[in-house]
Formats: sequence, C-alpha cells, structure tokens
Amino acid sequence: MISRNYRSLISKNSIKRYYLSVASDYFPNEPLKPEIISETYPGPINESKLSELAKSFDHRAAYFVADYYKSIGNYIADVDGNKLLDTYCQISSIPLGYNNPELLKACSSKEMQVALANRPALACFPSNDYESILKDGILAAAPRGLDKVWTALSGSDANETAYKAAFMYKAAKKRGNSKFTKEELESVMDNKSPGAPAASILSFDKGFHGRLFGSLSTTRSKPIHKLDIPQFPWPRAPFPSLKYPLEQYSIENQKEEERCLELTEALIKEWPDSIAAIIVEPIQAEGGDNHASPYFYQGLRKLTKAYEILLIVDEVQTGVGASGKFWCHEHLFDPNDPPDIVTFSKKFQAAGFYYKLPELQPDQPFRQFNTWCGDPSKAIIAKTIYNEIIKKNLLHSTKKTGDYIFNNLETLFNGKFFQIVKNLRGKNRGTLIAFDFNTAKERDGFLLECRKNGVNIGGCGDTAVRLRPSLVFEKRHADILLNIVEESLSKLY
Amino acid sequence: MSISSQYYPDEPSAPTVNTTVIPGPVSQKAIADLGKVFDSRTVYFVADYEKSLGNYISDVDGNVYLDLYAQIASIALGYNNPALIKAAQSPEMIRALVERPALGNFPGKDFESLLSKILKVAPPGQDKVWSGLSGADANELAFKAAFMYYQQKKRGYSTEFTPEEEYSCMQNQSPGSPQLAVLSFERAFHGRLFATASVTRSKPIHKIDLPSFNWPKAEYPSYKYPLSKYEKENKQEDDRCLAIVENLIKTWEFPVAALIIEPVQSEGGDNHGSSYFFQGLRDITLQNDVVMIVDEVQTGVGATGKLWAHEHFNLSPAPDLVTFSKKFQSAGYWFHDDKFIPNKTYRQFNTWCGDPARMIIAGAIAEEIVKHDLVEHTAKVGDYIYNGLAKLADKYPKDIQNLRGKATFIAFDLESQNDRDNFLYQLKLNGVNCGGCAENSVRLRPTLTFENKHADIFLAAVDNVLSAKRQ
Repeated sequence: MISRNYRSLISKNSIKRYYLSVASDYFPNEPLKPEIISETYPGPINESKLSELAKSFDHRAAYFVADYYKSIGNYIADVDGNKLLDTYCQISSIPLGYNNPELLKACSSKEMQVALANRPALACFPSNDYESILKDGILAAAPRGLDKVWTALSGSDANETAYKAAFMYKAAKKRGNSKFTKEELESVMDNKSPGAPAASILSFDKGFHGRLFGSLSTTRSKPIHKLDIPQFPWPRAPFPSLKYPLEQYSIENQKEEERCLELTEALIKEWPDSIAAIIVEPIQAEGGDNHASPYFYQGLRKLTKAYEILLIVDEVQTGVGASGKFWCHEHLFDPNDPPDIVTFSKKFQAAGFYYKLPELQPDQPFRQFNTWCGDPSKAIIAKTIYNEIIKKNLLHSTKKTGDYIFNNLETLFNGKFFQIVKNLRGKNRGTLIAFDFNTAKERDGFLLECRKNGVNIGGCGDTAVRLRPSLVFEKRHADILLNIVEESLSKLY
Repeated sequence: MSISSQYYPDEPSAPTVNTTVIPGPVSQKAIADLGKVFDSRTVYFVADYEKSLGNYISDVDGNVYLDLYAQIASIALGYNNPALIKAAQSPEMIRALVERPALGNFPGKDFESLLSKILKVAPPGQDKVWSGLSGADANELAFKAAFMYYQQKKRGYSTEFTPEEEYSCMQNQSPGSPQLAVLSFERAFHGRLFATASVTRSKPIHKIDLPSFNWPKAEYPSYKYPLSKYEKENKQEDDRCLAIVENLIKTWEFPVAALIIEPVQSEGGDNHGSSYFFQGLRDITLQNDVVMIVDEVQTGVGATGKLWAHEHFNLSPAPDLVTFSKKFQSAGYWFHDDKFIPNKTYRQFNTWCGDPARMIIAGAIAEEIVKHDLVEHTAKVGDYIYNGLAKLADKYPKDIQNLRGKATFIAFDLESQNDRDNFLYQLKLNGVNCGGCAENSVRLRPTLTFENKHADIFLAAVDNVLSAKRQ
C-alpha cells in the first residue's frame, strides 16, 4: 500500500521507486540478506583486532569490531566480512541506516567542515548560522507546545541540564523576586543548605536516565549501573508492571496503574525534601521495555500540576520516529497538556532538552552554561535527519513495519514457543517492540544464536529482547528478521 | 617562514573594528533572534567562522578581532586550520559522523589506529585512555573510575558484590552506594554537572540552587608576586595548604577516595601552585590511599610550555588519572594502572563512550603540535608576551597587578571587577578579544600558533587602553 501523503509528495515517475521502498532508494546496493562468511563466529580477525584494542581501551563489552565503510543501510559489516541485519543500531541511535547518502552529503558539506574545525563556545560566540540550523532542524521537530531548546552532548548530559533547569526554577519560584541571600551565597560554596538545597528529582523503579552522578541517582535499572558510586538520596516510585496481552488484562492493568499513581502521590506527600521534578520515560527502555498507558501518564501530569512539580519526559531512546510518531510521548499525553520538559539524544545525534516556560531559562546568565553548550556539527546532522524523516514519510512507514513485525511475532509466539517467549509488547508503538524469555541465560543464548544466523539484536532489562531497527527497516527486512527469530528458536528449543 | 604564515598566508595583519559598540547592530539583531529559542544573554558577539582565520575571529558586523580567548581556551591551532579542514574532509571523518558507533559495543576497525594517534601525546607515565564528551563529563567519568577502584581495593578486585550492596545501591544507599568523597580546592573549577559542580568552588553563580555532595574543600595556595621576591612566604603558604589537605583526608566524616586539582586554577583566577606543593600532594595521596586526579581540561595541550601543565611539577609516580577536553576537542581521562578498568563490564559504560569524530580532530591536532614543535614555540612566544606585559606593569602598576603565568598561559589582575570588565570591553573596541576569570583577573588563552607579531598588536592595544584610561 502507498499512502496519500506519498502520492501528493512525489512526482509520478518516482512513484514506482518509492513504492518499492525508501531503503532501496537510499541504498541500491544494500545486501538482500545477511552474509556470514567467517568459519567461526565471531571471526578470527575480530578476535585479533579486539586484543590489539585491549592494550589501551576497555574492550570487554564489544560484540564485534565493525567495518563502517562496508556497512550499508540496515546491514552492519564486521571486520571478518560478515554482514548482519541490524535491529540494534548502535543501541538505538542510528536513524537512517548506515552510509545514508543524505547524511554523507551533509557531512561532506563546507558547513560541516567549518563546524568541525572551529568548534565554538556556543553561548559566548555562536556562529551566524546556528539559529537557522536549530530552526530548520531540532526546533522544527519540537514536540507540540515546547518551542525552546537548550543543547547538550549526550542523553545523560541532556537530563542533567534539565535537572539543573528544574532545580533553579523551583528555587526561583520559592525566592520570588528577591535576590540570593548572603547565607545562600556563602553556604553554597561549602555545598551546604540553603545555597545547595536538599532538593530532589523523583524517578521510577527500572527507569534509566544516564550514568553521571545526577542522572545515575535517578537511574534504577540494574545494580551494575550504580554499584560503588555515591548518589543523591532521591525518591523512587513504582512503575506499572502490566500483564500481556493488554486486551486480556485491561482491568488488572488499570488497577496496577492506579496503584502506582497512588504510591507516587503518597511519596510526594511524605518526602521530606522538595521535589523539583519527576522524570519518566514513555517506555522504560534499558529497564526492560516496560510500557504504561495514557491513563498513567496523564495521571502523572495531573499529579505534577497539583503539587507544582515539573514533569520531564526522557525521550532519549524512544524519540525520533521509532514509535511511529516523532516523539513517543505523543501516544500518551493530551496534546493540550504536554510535559514541561522533553529530553533527547541518541537517534537525533544532537542532544538537549525542549521546554516551554520562559522561566526554565534561569533568571541570570551563566547559570545554565558551559564551554560548548552543544555541538553545531551534531545539530547539522539532526537537521538532515529531521528533513529526511519528513520528506520520506518515515513515521508512516515505521508504523507500518512495526505493525507487521508485531502481528507476525504474535502469531509465532502464540504457536509452539508460547512457553519460551512471553509478554510480547509494543503494539501500535512502531518498531519499539520487545518480548521476554524466562531467564537472562535463555535470552542471551537467543541473541547469540540470532547473531550467528545473521541478525544483530539487543537485550534490555533482565530477560527482555528489544527491537531497535532504523527508520528505513522495511517489510523485506522484517521477513528476514522473523525467519531468523523462528529459525533460532527452533534450533534452541 | 613563521608557522602562522605557513598555515594562514591570508591571515589579516591587523584587527579591524567598524562598529562603535560591540556587539554591533547586526550581532545585536542576531542575538535577539536567537534569544527567542536559545538563551543568548551570554553572547559577546555572533561570529562568522567561515571568515575567521588563524588568530583572527570575524563577527557578523565585519569586525575582525585578534583572538586571545579562543573559545574559552579551546581552539588549539587557530581558525580554519588547513590540517583540521583536511581531517574534516577525510573519509574517516565522514564515516565517523554518519555512522556514530556505540564504541563500547561496536568499535570500528579504524578505532585502534585513531586511539594510537591520540596516545602518542599522552602525559608521561600514562598509556591508556577512556573517552568522554566534555570536561565535566571527563571529570565525572574519572570520579566513577576512582570510586570503583577505591571500593574494589577495599573489597578485593575480583570479589563479588554482596546481595546487600546490590539491594542498597538501587535505593541510593550505603553500602552499595557508599558515602565517599572527592576532595577539591577553594576556587577550583571542574565542571557543572552534579558531581563536578560539587567539586567546583569558583563562584556561587556556578552552583547555587543545585543539590551538592557533602565533600571537603581544601585551600589552594595564594602566592605573593613576584615569586622570586617571596620564596620563603610562598613556601610557608604551600606547607599550610598541604597540612589542611592531610588533615581533611584524615578527619572527614567519611573516606576521601580521590582528590582533584588543576595545575593552574583557571576559571578561579589563574592561581598557580608550585612543584613543591604538587609533589607534596602526590606524597599525601600515596600515603593515604587517595586517587590523584589532575584536571588538565584548560591547562593541557601546550599553552603552558609543556604539552601537559603538570609536567612542570615532575610528579613521581605519575598521577593516577589525568582529564582532558577543550583544546584537544576530544575529552576523557588518561591512566596507566589496569585496576582503573572496573572488574566487570558495563560499569564504566554509556551509549557512545566518546566521539570518534572528535578523536580524529584530536589526532590531527596532536600530529600538528609534534610536527611543528608548537609547545616549544609557545614557550618562546609566552616569554615575549610576559616581558612585554612586565614593562607595561611598570608603567601601569595599578592595572597590571600580580602578573603571572607559564608560556602564553598568562594572567594579571586589575583593581576591581568593574575595571576589569571595562578593560576587556575597551580591548574589543581596539580589536582584541580577550577573556576574564574570577572577579578581577584577565587571562590570556591564545592559540598555539600565536606569534610575536600578534603579541605586538596585543601589547599595543593594552598600552592604548590603559593610557586612555589614565587620561
């Protein structure tokens, strides 16, 4: 099927190409299927490359050493010449496939060279084109209602700068029009209250928001992310544990969401320190792809308003199209009542946060500030990504591909593997699909088997498998994925 | 042929200022437009980087300034350096930008050669690196490495975590999330994220309203200048400050796992410490099992006349961790002890673990510095500037106080903040972009291709501004 949008956008003689696929338009030489050519997997060159790397860099988390020159479209190549269909995409951070021609063009441009060779201290000496780069890219993609942006360097950095904005906002509100007191100015230099207040950010069990010290204090995914690191004593609320399939458990699930909302409210009421903001993901990704319904998110929005707490939605992993909408929270929030702050990174390549309230810009300059305040070269890439998504209508195609994958996985898992694979989720969330195994070991075994068969897939949480393909992943790629999932399961079980 | 004429045959021979105010009218409009969507209150002027060249930065009003601030000390070789433009055009770069990898999981095949280029300029004694994205990020990653190291040393490197540790860390509580401190120094600046803001002690405006860790703050020596005249007093000051450090480590209410210090406190006012002081700190950290982190974010990459400023101190053994960013464009920390690699994977980890695009730039910068001996060059130019300023200090003793510095990493104080701010503004009108630090200091942070001919223009502008002020 081809949508009306496509028809109105493109000229007659190109319809056939678009009908075929955006991926073949971008990547005429994309492989037709995975190619595993090394005798062993991982291959021998990979092993030797890794041991070289080990001399100066912690390489132990490496799945394989990639050859990015030979990677193309939805296929990632490794140094042994193997080509894997990639549904992990650099931990969910490649939007348009490998070696996308439009990105190659943007990255070969004069504009890019100037940005790379002359990295500015953006808040002191911005370049004459930064405003237009923002306007035509990052800001054009802004979630409805949030018309300003502060740029940063990574998801952790985006969240922490958002926390800073929230803390300063909250303190300014309390202070009213008065200036900092002498006591505040003195105590802050000793890291003591009132200048350095015991304020907090509330996050949810199994949430993941990064690994620096403020963001790590709100990350509640796994001990390995947090052990041995000092953290702030901030509150943690329960996140709903939904039962699947959703249609079958709607009453239980609503009760579960009500329970979590009530406990969150109780926590807000009893917490001894001021809570400046609540941070939540539209889907808890690292924590296991845990979903909640619009009822829960709109309930949170009501709570935060009632208690004058800011609501930060962390779209680092869920944003930029994979859910079938540009921002995943658009599935969940009343469009007239959006969150206060939305953070982004990963697939957008540029990072930062969107906001609406002018007061989230601190009352004085040099408070939300650092040397670089973002990176124009990444903002140029974000602009290209946004424009390609719109031009090629990739939100629509991602929704379609996601529905196709979901329906086929549902059929497969309801069949002979129903005791092996559980909790298929992500219906109507584009390709942000996940499912569980019974144990971490079974899940890891499955992921390795899939790689051996030519598909790179990632895990999350303790026992979950998450799909995070690019936005140019299509039905024909989905068919290969589905076949290999079935083949791998059949071999293992 | 001088290095700047080799790189920049078309570099302007003098600044041009066309506007009577700075920012000029075109900048002002651009700042207002940008301000609607991006906080632009800190903008000095809007730059035209395509037209900037070498040691000169252009703005949208057509003003061309000699730049001694260089993007807050972060431009190493000058604007539009041909070697960096070449690196930016290279197939490696384009690939690095288009296919940004999750380096910890899927490093590219050229990553190792990229690293080895960078490692060629590692400080003495360091042969490994972990990469980050900014100075604040680099320092926080170093803190994480230090905390994990400290706890592993206590627990045993390969000892498994206890269930209690695993449970309590998820509640942000001890013992899994222990009470451990990083000691820093008064007037220090290490960044503005939450742990780095906790060790930053420069100004209230950098920290106020943010929750902070209850970590100790020692004193950084305050010397009397000129150093040659006050040797005895300054050594006493070193001893006093060392005693405070040792006392804090021994008496703080919970263990001090690490100490972080800048070779020259930059944002905090260009405060220098002696070799004696730094060697003393190295001894104290060794005796008390405290990880020593040297923050070379602003001081590193040549400007002090050594590639890394702490090389001036002859520290032995080498510091445990040395952080870098800014002029190197790539960020992270150097280290040498394998035990700073955590015992398990995914402990020191994040999506990108650095940025190969910035590493390529860092590699090119390193290559140019070595090829053209730019550190030696900078030491010579620094002496020339220092002597020039010393003469001007005799002429204007109230406006050039406490002249201090190594190579081009030079600073001096004016009488008040107001005086300093006016001085910097007048310098801009005279075609020189220069920065301040702390309350009343001026800091010079030119590139490594700054030469005597540029210094002459700068010194003449200083003379001009100060003599006008006197009238």
